[in-house]
Amino acid sequence: MQENSEITFLQDGEIRTIRIGKDGFSPTTTVLNYLRASAEHKGTKEGCAEGDCGACTVVIAEPHSDSRLKYTAIDSCLVFLPMLQGKQLVTVENLKKDNQYHPVQQEMIERNGSQCGYCTPGFIMSLLALYKTSNSPSKDEIQDALTGNLCRCTGYRPIVEAAAAACVHEGRDHFSEEEKNVIQKLKSISKDQNSIRLLSGNQIYVRPQQLEEALRFLSENPDALIVQGATDIALRVTKKHEVLGKILDLSALSALKEIKTADREFSFGAGMNLEDIRKYCENIFPPLYKMLSVFGSRQIRSLATFGGNIGSASPIGDTLPVLMALNARIELQSISGKREIPMTEFIIGYRKTQRQSNELISAVIIPKMNPNSIVRSYKVSKRKDLDISTLSGGFSLTFQGDFISAAVLAYGGMAERTKRAVTAENYLVGKKWTREIAEQAGEYVYSEFTPLSDTRSGAEFRRLAARNLMLKFWQDTQH
Amino acid sequence: MKNIPHDSAGKHVSGQSVYIDDILVNTQLLYGHIMYSPHAYAKIKSIDISTASSVPGVHAIVLAKDIPGENQLGPVVHDEPCLADKEVICVGQAIVLIAAENAECARAAEKLIRIEFEPLDAILDLETAIQKNTLLAPPRTMQRGDADAALKKSKHILSGEVRTGAQEHWYLETQSCLAIPGEGHEMNIYSSTQHPSETQAIVAEVLGLPKNEIVVETRRMGGAFGGKETQANHTAAWAALLAHATRRPVSIRLFRDDDQKMTGKRHPYFIHYEVGFDDAGKIDALKFEQHADGGCATDLSIAILERAMLHADNAYFIPNMTVVGKAYKTNLPSNTAFRGFGGPQGVAGMETVIDRIARFLKKDSADIRKINFYETGERAITHYGQEVELNRLPVLFEELSLSSDYYQRRKEVDAFNARNEFYKKGLAFTPVKFGISFTTTFLNQAGALVNIYKDGTILVNHGGTEMGQGLNTKIAQIAASEMGVSLDRIKVNATNTSKVPNTSATAASAGTDLNGMAVKNAIDILRARIVKLMASEFSKSYPAEASAEKDILIKDNTIFDNQYPERKISFAEAMTLANLQQVSLSATGFYATPNIGWDKQKGWGKPFNYYAFGMSVSEVLLDTLTGYVRHLRTDILHDVGDSINEGLDIGQVEGGFIQGLGWCTTEEIKWDSKGNLLNHSPDTYKIPSVQDVPEDFRVQLLQNAPNPNAIRKSKAVAEPPLMLAFSSWLAIKDAISAVGDHAYEPSFRLPATNEVILLSIEEIKKKKNQ
Repeated sequence: MQENSEITFLQDGEIRTIRIGKDGFSPTTTVLNYLRASAEHKGTKEGCAEGDCGACTVVIAEPHSDSRLKYTAIDSCLVFLPMLQGKQLVTVENLKKDNQYHPVQQEMIERNGSQCGYCTPGFIMSLLALYKTSNSPSKDEIQDALTGNLCRCTGYRPIVEAAAAACVHEGRDHFSEEEKNVIQKLKSISKDQNSIRLLSGNQIYVRPQQLEEALRFLSENPDALIVQGATDIALRVTKKHEVLGKILDLSALSALKEIKTADREFSFGAGMNLEDIRKYCENIFPPLYKMLSVFGSRQIRSLATFGGNIGSASPIGDTLPVLMALNARIELQSISGKREIPMTEFIIGYRKTQRQSNELISAVIIPKMNPNSIVRSYKVSKRKDLDISTLSGGFSLTFQGDFISAAVLAYGGMAERTKRAVTAENYLVGKKWTREIAEQAGEYVYSEFTPLSDTRSGAEFRRLAARNLMLKFWQDTQH
Repeated sequence: MKNIPHDSAGKHVSGQSVYIDDILVNTQLLYGHIMYSPHAYAKIKSIDISTASSVPGVHAIVLAKDIPGENQLGPVVHDEPCLADKEVICVGQAIVLIAAENAECARAAEKLIRIEFEPLDAILDLETAIQKNTLLAPPRTMQRGDADAALKKSKHILSGEVRTGAQEHWYLETQSCLAIPGEGHEMNIYSSTQHPSETQAIVAEVLGLPKNEIVVETRRMGGAFGGKETQANHTAAWAALLAHATRRPVSIRLFRDDDQKMTGKRHPYFIHYEVGFDDAGKIDALKFEQHADGGCATDLSIAILERAMLHADNAYFIPNMTVVGKAYKTNLPSNTAFRGFGGPQGVAGMETVIDRIARFLKKDSADIRKINFYETGERAITHYGQEVELNRLPVLFEELSLSSDYYQRRKEVDAFNARNEFYKKGLAFTPVKFGISFTTTFLNQAGALVNIYKDGTILVNHGGTEMGQGLNTKIAQIAASEMGVSLDRIKVNATNTSKVPNTSATAASAGTDLNGMAVKNAIDILRARIVKLMASEFSKSYPAEASAEKDILIKDNTIFDNQYPERKISFAEAMTLANLQQVSLSATGFYATPNIGWDKQKGWGKPFNYYAFGMSVSEVLLDTLTGYVRHLRTDILHDVGDSINEGLDIGQVEGGFIQGLGWCTTEEIKWDSKGNLLNHSPDTYKIPSVQDVPEDFRVQLLQNAPNPNAIRKSKAVAEPPLMLAFSSWLAIKDAISAVGDHAYEPSFRLPATNEVILLSIEEIKKKKNQ
């Protein structure tokens, strides 16, 4: 791995090289802070520095094929500068060209899509990503693309209408005219750049291209923080103002972004982002699709990875209960080999997993859904979207004839870790799935947990809702 | 001209709008940082800054003792120190200011500052404050008739309580200020403030300087909603102190979590009511006792309490009514103005009473509302003596009940609820009547300065501030049409205290009403000068048939004689001519709202210039197992008089409604037992997202309803629509009530979070099974 102190990316049509540690930027300088440090890029705003408001949204373009770019809206407050390596950074200043507004800008102007204007650049960038990826999007698709952008003035109706009116040109605009040119420039960057290893002050930032390199670095540096999308780790920089010492960035590892299919199961690379997983799962794992559809926002899901969400082992961890219900297995890899652990056993305590410090989560293996099983996922939160669950559930019942032969009732937000309601599971095995049985199982769930009261809700609400989810599960599985 | 876009829209969408933190300043700019109290109530025993001062990159550390002027921020009552000195009275109160080269230096210095506290017993909730009677001011009373006597005679009497929660403004741009020292004592302040004149006054007082040394400029705010009416002054004063201490430019933009922890919110209320009514549901007697949590200082709490009391009737005539209002001191950040300014809390009390009566009598709540609406004559007089003139309530009710198909949908909702066990629908129809004017009468004044340049372009200065509402767009429209020129000739300047002095806050929804009139006044003066000049100029060529001033018109950038249309000149040429003829092309304008005034002590008179009205019908679908609510449909019909700009007005109606919906549903604020705010970021404080707006949202403006009392027959619009969200709030309650077949009064509060809802449903289920 070569030592270097530079990162290179495309911005404003030009190849830009940043000397980390020299131009006033560290490896953990966020893209937002990089932009706001320049006189020409004040358009991108900080609203919250935690990825909840989208005022800092920018678009990242990277080659999708030889002739096409893929445009993704992300929260620039959560992205470290080195993650731009080899990509094009598009900001709100880039849309208006030759005194002509971009269609998304024009429709926002005409439909009163802005009032105070502070959230507007972020909305424009989410609209640009939508414009480039979707033609005549449905209202649901528009709302999904805008969930990560908060506006306190308009009430959103004019923005949704502007999106519908603008996104009708099959993505054609001045960016499409430049695509081939941009791809050439991006190729010229990636030609001389392989893995990155940045040293700056007390910080080491390593972004390998090969899994082997990553595993070797990890075995030598078990104290390294592992990041991929950094949506969680970045908060330690932006909210707690910590200086992170050693960082292993896995986002360039193509080996972790593959889907492998076998007769009985799918293996998802742990580096896949949750938005790609969501789309892939719509038909094969509907409960996972449903959970991911209310997970964070489009911007967050485009950065956050499967491995990151599982590895952080949050007590709520939206994907964890549903993966437990789906009987998923976690594949861990170290320099000395691979091993698999059932999801139901992977989490062992508050933010604690069975992962050893020299191991990476390399894949998530999910068996195809058993036709004799019913699986559902539930999320209970104050606001439906872009809100961390107050509690969540992933439930699975397997039947032999009319009788339940196995049950997984996994809950998030009810204990210090995602936890199964064991007494309720035991009660259900051998029973028929009737309303009375479901309600009784709910009573067991109610007694089994002693959740906390916190800022999201009181303990009694959590217990009541956890109980009621049994009845809801029953109701949802009646035909 | 009615639908022209916001005058900054092009800049907004291309990232070219300049907010405080975007202003380009030279490399001498310093970063301003605030160290604040971790205690709700404590004595400060000592502050040690010795090691912090020597951190490289730190330029100044300022304590209370270093303040050259008065250590005071209180806008009305001087009970709010700029920096805590001997004691702290809430978590988040500023104690130390740091100016440093960058944020990292400032935070490093903060870590080295040692403050020794002696914690004291804090009051952290309204209940305790009521118990200990920590009043901020003597209680207020408004009354008409004899409520006690009337209650005794009433057929039915109900009493109960209403609780409403705090609300964080969550403007996208946090409190921000850039202070740049000039020569001598001059201080130039660029502030995200709704009230530049008061910001100027507070900075002058804190620095101990006369006001003519301080200039405050406000180009635009990234949202305000009342949160920058008084509390923008704090950040401005801190930045000014640091700039004064360092003689360098200092910028402060509060970090989101700090902004949420340090600034005040909408006042939480506890309201007790007792109501007497007949079998039809007609109210004869009503007593309200309103209790407001003012936080640690007075701020605007008393004016907010007053407006809550003035809106305790909402849209209803109540022959015998008594409202008692009390505001209390607690050890929380001082609560402040928020869109509606107490009105929403007052209306929440009244609408709860109506809802309760309807359930008690097993009648449709819309019908109870209808028979209690203000009418004409005796039944048009409010509990504070003002007549409800040009009452739009009947026409709004009639039109909206038809366009929303309310009565048919009521039947459908009942039928749905009879068929479904796990899901229940709710429907509610609520009105708002909102008084327009500052209730502190002298504040109803505005100024303007209009300059015409020799090329015929016009620069309009006025005292109002742009916070997204489109004030400057409406002002430009007013200026263009009053002058007779096209909109492209008009530029509205950044608000600046050196152009228009001694202004009132842009608040109380009155920005266009007041400043529009002041601008019109200035333009009337200029137009008269121009007309006089051109009558004389045109007459020079026609001595026999002179042009008369009354015939000189200005239209479409042309000045002409209506009798002799061939006598004409372009507006721009005329302005060059005026300059040659030594005619002044600059004028100030002024306006004070006429015919208002009232006796605050007696609580009687005419506090308002006029009323704005609106109505809303909302339908929700409730998942009774989780408490999750879907907002299926909302229909709004709102009265804005003759709209100056329908696009902007609809934006205010929709945005106000959604902001109200957030307050009513997901925006919950909690403090821990030490007075720490728990919901201090958008991670846990949930304003509505694009997914939370009604799935079917139909907003209409009432047509053919001109308002004779305001500029161009328009009406103020910013605040009233927020209260239309009570239709959604009470639709949720209606759905909960359906779980018990409307036989039980549901426990309810505001916000109605999924937790409040589910606990209420469980309670009803228990009652039902008993």
